[in-house]
Amino acid sequence: MKYILMMNTMKAGHGVPSWPRKDLQAHIAFMMNLNKNLHDSGELVAAEGLAFPDQARLVRAGKDGLPITDGIFPESKEFLAGFWIVDVDSPERAYAIAAQVSAAPGPGAAPLNMPIEVRPVMSAPPPDLL
Amino acid sequence: MKYILLMSGTKSGVNSYRAWPQEDIEAHMTVLRGINKDLTESGEFVATQRLVGPTEAKVVRGEKHGIPVTDGIFPESKEFLLGYWVIDVTSPERAYAIAGRISAAPGPGGVPTNMPIEVRGFAS
Repeated sequence: MKYILMMNTMKAGHGVPSWPRKDLQAHIAFMMNLNKNLHDSGELVAAEGLAFPDQARLVRAGKDGLPITDGIFPESKEFLAGFWIVDVDSPERAYAIAAQVSAAPGPGAAPLNMPIEVRPVMSAPPPDLL
Repeated sequence: MKYILLMSGTKSGVNSYRAWPQEDIEAHMTVLRGINKDLTESGEFVATQRLVGPTEAKVVRGEKHGIPVTDGIFPESKEFLLGYWVIDVTSPERAYAIAGRISAAPGPGGVPTNMPIEVRGFAS
């Protein structure tokens, strides 16, 4: 069964975090190692990091379907920082992987304990809607 | 350049969608499938995925020794990801145009939903 693990930790207007360089490097190395382990176990389907919220736009269709873009967000809005799609045998395994992600090191190598949202992904739309 | 188009909504929004007349849901899905088909033909399609509803969402934190602690209680105002498209396009404007088409997909009575679609580039 497939699950998506979502890291929704970034706030509006933020760019690259101002951590010391060695802490950023340790964080990135941790994530790369995690992805390698998931790849080796055959559980990794996809993983992507997103550009920072200062480049996010919200789009609505205006008249004639033309896009209307907006880049102003409330301070409280949480942004997706990145996601993993994993193919695992149980929800418990998805939660265990999410906990590993949550424990990624931050400034001073302390675990970030980030909340990671875990949701099953749908295999296909219900047949009666096709 | 790759972009992700994120469609989000609250629990109450998901519930109201489920209460749409069947024919309106079908019309909505037909338009979204048409967009996927067009993106596939133009070579801009990378991936799309729908997620199951917010009632099956859990938030996980790693506590001591990395043991997962799960929580399934969310504020009513929380926006949940409903689904996404990953596209590979030559400009941000093209990503916005595709998001505009998705936003204009019909809702109840064929009226465009005008759902906000968040557009984000991938980190390189």
